[in-house]
Amino acid sequence: MGLADELFKDAHFLADKGITDQRQTMMRRSISTAYYAAFHLFIEDFVEHWEFPDQRARLGRMFGHGKMCTAFTPKDKKNPTTVEQELQDVITAFSQLQKDRERADYDGGWRLVETDVRNAIRLAEDVFAKWRKIKDEDIARHHLLSMFGARSD
Amino acid sequence: MYVPSAVTKQAEIEAAIARVQQSIGPDVVRIRYDIGEDWSGQWAVFFRILLTDDAARHRLRDVATKVVWELARQLDFPGMGVFPYHNFRSVSEQSMLQEPAWA
Repeated sequence: MGLADELFKDAHFLADKGITDQRQTMMRRSISTAYYAAFHLFIEDFVEHWEFPDQRARLGRMFGHGKMCTAFTPKDKKNPTTVEQELQDVITAFSQLQKDRERADYDGGWRLVETDVRNAIRLAEDVFAKWRKIKDEDIARHHLLSMFGARSD
Repeated sequence: MYVPSAVTKQAEIEAAIARVQQSIGPDVVRIRYDIGEDWSGQWAVFFRILLTDDAARHRLRDVATKVVWELARQLDFPGMGVFPYHNFRSVSEQSMLQEPAWA
């Protein structure tokens, strides 16, 4: 099991325990862990194509959180293809997770409720399911490059 | 200073919210929103979506997905210069927290 999948499992565990025990700290860690699970999902997919295994971790550390929420515009905004819509869904879910992770980690005034945590888990589930479905499509591969910071053609 | 066009389109946003609520039905109790900058300094519209207890507890995936998609269908967020964020809460949770922003 890769780091992304392990983190995803941990996020579920922390969510269930945090909600059952009504522990704000665990609920916060759940949201943060769900985000990092998705974050590492993209990094793992990117670096697996680098030929030299001993350099993959170093390559992965080049990803920056801010750049990873780069926007995507379908060719025909009113009629996106199925793959374009799913990529859009992945980006929307990941960006929301990133915002929620920022709040979970730094906004001491945020009083979390069960729905906040369940929603973060839902978003991470969507990122995992939809990304794994489309990751070999051209637009997904190109978008992964954009997330890494590569300029458009 | 750059201000996105969303700031001047609040009537349009409110009309879209009303249409979304109507199309999704009673699972969505109300939708509130603010426009501002997110943690990275990017302009955003922050939706606060209050759901029935049943929707939040048993059908969160379906209802939340519908709300996100419908709002995106009704509003051109990139055209308005904002990124949309959506947070959800149940009626019981809001009853407990009594946060004015969700009222």
